[in-house]
Amino acid sequence: MVSKIIEVGYGTVNKVRIGDKLPLVFIGGPCAIESKEHTFMMAKRVKDICDKLDIPWIFKACYDKDCRSAPDSFHGLGIEGGLKILSEVREEFGVPVTSDFSDPAWGDATGKVCDLVQVPAYLCRQTSILRAAALTKKPIHLKKGQFMSPWNMKNSVRKIESFGNDQVLLTDRGTFFGYNMLVNDFKCFPIMAETGYPVCFDATHSIQLPTSMGNISGGQREYIPHLVRGAVATGINALFMEVHNDPPNAMSDANTVLDIKYLERILAQAKHMHEQRIELLEKWGEDNVHREQ
Amino acid sequence: MSTENNKNKLVSEVMIPLEKFPVLKQKIIFKEALEAMSKYNLGIACIVSTDGILLGLVTDGDVRRKILKIQKPFSALFVDDALDHCIKQPVTIKSDAKLIDAIELMEKKHVWDLPVVNDSGKLLGLLHLHPAVKTILS
Repeated sequence: MVSKIIEVGYGTVNKVRIGDKLPLVFIGGPCAIESKEHTFMMAKRVKDICDKLDIPWIFKACYDKDCRSAPDSFHGLGIEGGLKILSEVREEFGVPVTSDFSDPAWGDATGKVCDLVQVPAYLCRQTSILRAAALTKKPIHLKKGQFMSPWNMKNSVRKIESFGNDQVLLTDRGTFFGYNMLVNDFKCFPIMAETGYPVCFDATHSIQLPTSMGNISGGQREYIPHLVRGAVATGINALFMEVHNDPPNAMSDANTVLDIKYLERILAQAKHMHEQRIELLEKWGEDNVHREQ
Repeated sequence: MSTENNKNKLVSEVMIPLEKFPVLKQKIIFKEALEAMSKYNLGIACIVSTDGILLGLVTDGDVRRKILKIQKPFSALFVDDALDHCIKQPVTIKSDAKLIDAIELMEKKHVWDLPVVNDSGKLLGLLHLHPAVKTILS
């Protein structure tokens, strides 16, 4: 299915286009904005890798982590300080930026700075947050809730459209398999793509073991490369991964973020496989088998 | 009035007006189409564009065939666009056609309903077999 193309980036930053058979886009950065220095350092390192590999990218870091397991876990720098740093990253690196937002009241401010606004997976069907996201008039990164079927994401898409926004990116970040465990059903990509919007794979949250460590989440990040190859081969338009220079000491998602030292090798494979997939489709035909029913 | 005279009646005199049968928007999902069909107690729903042009039909027979053929869960089938499961080029009739000709067309095509459209394909009403036959026989 041919997907709609969404364009991320306003003002002077690079415009990143996502969809159809365009190059694979990387969305990544640290889970949380830890400090200005750390955020700039991470942005510079991701930029260097993406420039080297010629991969279009969007910088991701959140200003408020509202879904932490424990009350005393790091919550983030907050909306004012966090958005200021994201704004400075845009200026410094000329890259589109994104953050999620967990409160409808934060939508307006988030949309004024971010080029792409992210709706957290746990909130993916909440009308008030979808409305706030739609009203930013920015493209929306909508993550499939771990409890949602891929086809039921269409309901959330319809809500967004009803509020006047038709720029959506749909992401899989795993589906609950019993307690404290996620699995990936890669059929979710063609199914979500039936909405007409581009699709994305969130590799670092897919290997999460939600709250498996009692009051924090665990993760099996040794499987990130395998899942990335599987998703890219299946067919995605963007790849999302959270990266960190020192995962054990990351202030958020320490058990799932990818050590940035591995980023280049994974992105290089992903880019190559994405290009191969498109070549194969052009040579052998599209995936539209048994669609006559 | 004699039965002979009734045969000269026109489709426009007997057709069900737009507000009395399911006329649905293009983006409606399959479940909503089924609900509309049940609400009006008719085995048919018409899907139209924003300009009122007939785009397709969902009928009880289509639903039956889909259920037997499609292997996806009901929860997935329900959120499909109804248009994906429509008859895209249905048999239609013009409003100035004779009623008796319309009934013969229904018999030939094995259908119980005929959407009534104008020359542009705009939906004007629905001819249902029962009132059509009742009118002829009255």
